[in-house]
Amino acid sequence: MTSLKELAKICLEKLKAAGADTAQVSLSLSEKREFNIDGGEFSLFRTTFNRNLSLTAFRETRTGRVTLNSFDPDAIEDAVADCMRGVESDKPDPARGIAEKIGEREFKSGEPEPDAEKFFFRTRELKEAIEARFPSIIMEQMINSHNKTERVYADTNDNLYHSVSGCYEVSLMFSAHRDGKSSSFMGCGYDTVDLDTPLLEQGDIARVIGDVEKQIDTVPVTGSFTGTVVIAPDCLGEFLSDSVIGNFASGTSLIDGTSIWRDKLEKQVASENFTLSLSPRDPAILLGQEYTGDGYPAEDFTLIENGILKSFVAGIYVSNKAGCPRSKNTSTYSLVMPAGDKTLDELIAGIDDGLFVYRFSGGQPANNGDFSGVAKNSFRIRNGKIADAVSETMISGNLSEMLRHFEGASSERVNNGYFLLPFAAFSGVTVSGK
Amino acid sequence: MLREFSSTGRDLFGGDADAEVRRQRNTVRTVALVQGDLLQNERSETAGLSARVIRGGVAGFASVADVSEESVKAVLDEAHKNALFLDGQVALGKPRLPAAPRGSFRMAREPGDPEQKKYVEFAREVDAYIVKNCPKLVSRRLRFRADCMEKVLTVSGGTDAHTYLPRCYLYLFFTANTPDGVPVDLYSVVGGYGSFDTLFRDPEAIFPEVDLLYGKLLAKTEGIRPEAGEKTCILGGSLTGMLAHEAVGHTVEADLVLGGSVAGRMLGRVVASPLVSLVDYAHAAFGKPAPLPVYVDDEGTPAVDAEIIRDGILVGYLNNRDTAVRFGMKPQGNARAYSFSDEPLIRMRNTAILPGSSRLSDMIASVEDGYYLTDTNNGQADTTGEFMFGVSMGYEIKNGKLGRALLDTTISGVAFEMLKTVDMVSDTVTWSSSGFCGKKQPMPVGLGGPELRCRLMMGGC
Repeated sequence: MTSLKELAKICLEKLKAAGADTAQVSLSLSEKREFNIDGGEFSLFRTTFNRNLSLTAFRETRTGRVTLNSFDPDAIEDAVADCMRGVESDKPDPARGIAEKIGEREFKSGEPEPDAEKFFFRTRELKEAIEARFPSIIMEQMINSHNKTERVYADTNDNLYHSVSGCYEVSLMFSAHRDGKSSSFMGCGYDTVDLDTPLLEQGDIARVIGDVEKQIDTVPVTGSFTGTVVIAPDCLGEFLSDSVIGNFASGTSLIDGTSIWRDKLEKQVASENFTLSLSPRDPAILLGQEYTGDGYPAEDFTLIENGILKSFVAGIYVSNKAGCPRSKNTSTYSLVMPAGDKTLDELIAGIDDGLFVYRFSGGQPANNGDFSGVAKNSFRIRNGKIADAVSETMISGNLSEMLRHFEGASSERVNNGYFLLPFAAFSGVTVSGK
Repeated sequence: MLREFSSTGRDLFGGDADAEVRRQRNTVRTVALVQGDLLQNERSETAGLSARVIRGGVAGFASVADVSEESVKAVLDEAHKNALFLDGQVALGKPRLPAAPRGSFRMAREPGDPEQKKYVEFAREVDAYIVKNCPKLVSRRLRFRADCMEKVLTVSGGTDAHTYLPRCYLYLFFTANTPDGVPVDLYSVVGGYGSFDTLFRDPEAIFPEVDLLYGKLLAKTEGIRPEAGEKTCILGGSLTGMLAHEAVGHTVEADLVLGGSVAGRMLGRVVASPLVSLVDYAHAAFGKPAPLPVYVDDEGTPAVDAEIIRDGILVGYLNNRDTAVRFGMKPQGNARAYSFSDEPLIRMRNTAILPGSSRLSDMIASVEDGYYLTDTNNGQADTTGEFMFGVSMGYEIKNGKLGRALLDTTISGVAFEMLKTVDMVSDTVTWSSSGFCGKKQPMPVGLGGPELRCRLMMGGC
């Protein structure tokens, strides 16, 4: 049987023979083993086997791309021809490019080989532990899976990377119910390679489930006030990845110049206490980016250091278009923030009036960073303590201003395998109720 | 085009379990232009074979990236093995599902798949028109997406099928600055069910949509921030569709009812104004084809309309074969899978609030101080029915007349409370079908509705 590396080289040769002057080929084989619980009952055991082939060709800086999940020789011939037709449809753009020669690399991440029976045992144990310890919880869905992937990347600059990765993913969706009343639904989870520790003791899920049990009875916020919000790590990760980095520090907003940070490199964009890294190679990140789409091995970097913007998230194309340096990786999800010097309780103790936010249900922030949405699964903070759970409560503000009003991070950090983040406090956020 | 199975379901499957085998191919073409530069120029195809075996109330599922006849038995064996493992572990002991009517359904033909160059050239022509006619834009983005799901299904009990679901859309994203230099944006979508060749014959046909979007965006650059708080609003058809799907439709999906959704204690009760009725349409609505027609679902159930709210009363859930038994209802064809490697989940098809008898102009004239909310860019809802929608375009209404445009805002509420405040329903339905519903797997869905006059929480900016 042809190995992935050999097949990658064959595909490169075919692309070159078809007229490509540079080309990239990515191949993968993946396996999934997944247990589902629906409505509190086991419902599904699913195994899937897939493969992927992605061809990218360049000729005189014009490009085309085809992906398929077949390694059949006829299908590859068709894909090569289709890819080159894509190239023909394009116009030259000198901003494009791929990595120079780096050579061969081997990567291994996580635990590629699953122990399906032990994982089932741990999953059933988790279900039973939640039922016993949190009796008001209804598990809408639990999806626990092991995913293994073998990948090869090759390009015409003689770069050849091979990786094998895998881990167990735990994902829960649930709500709490009592006397005909219910909390909002909440989702949480993590990636792990540890089957020796009960799943309820990993990540932050026990805390989250316990707090959702306290959200059945809610009190709406009356009127509006400007206060400090403490954002839980899952919600913080979404804010930072999707909204802050997505709006201000990466992608098309840099290319078309609509990012309000476009001229802020090496300038203050956040409180001087705020530091954020994109660290796919950090040991805490199980399946972080190994190499970029351009063909560079990924390295960790600091995005914002003591409030100063140190880099954008930019591959070759964005870098050339926006006139900014290329970043050391292009992953926007491997977030690592340093721990603060106060515990979460101490952080909350310093807040007179505010909100503790587990989940934010909001629209896509505007280009300028204005946002508003509903604070879900959240608690009022009064006089330095967590008070009532709230309902129908909106928060609004501006992302850029929020970072400048960062008040501190907790000393506790949550490592869920794809980020390592603390609880973080931001002042100056508008909280409004009915 | 995928081959049909050489054996029927009854020949393939043993007699001790319910089972289905599905061959599926998903194709996607994507072209993205940003400021005239081609950022994405890609075709993808994913094809494979899956089997699901249900035994004792649990399912074993398996899939491979191979559509050959030789793989059918291997995939079925793997699915059977998985079902045996789980059944042996949890022993729910549930009986076999009731047999569905035997039958066969085949769609007429495979839709066309023109080459990438046509999409790129079309997009460039529209882009050139934008450059010439929309001078105040600071950013323009165009994106074509054409996708098609082809499925060949054979089942142990039910209807075998060979179906296609092709869609093609052109998305236009515009950004312009306010007088203070703050960027604001707006987008619109053209397209629908069908292939590029049938929907996009002439770039000039898109120009009026460009002009309309540009005009709305310029009005928005002069827009105001709406007042926060509860207001009388006229919800535009696209927002009503979002409400029907996100805030009502998901709560009545029977798997979410079992998972604790608010609809579990609402069946047979008043959940909306008597002016409100809501249906999940299968393949036809209001005398026309539905935006994304579904004829047979992925369990082999022939698809029929599912009535959810009748005159303000909650009358039904959306089911698969299993939940239909649990709730004493009939499965209506809502079990759908996105990819060959996905198991069928309970999904909506074309979910809409039914039109009423009011004219939009009369509805606007009836509002003394409120808002007309026309466009949305985002929507989320809870299983409690609490929802939050992003509003990307709207207008104030003062003394019965439309006033200034609005900047981006959000609206929120609790569906089964907010729907009770509806006191006028317009006589026309606006459909949209360009997005994906997210629920473990993505899924193309249609959603629609008329304008509603109601009370809503405005979030300000």
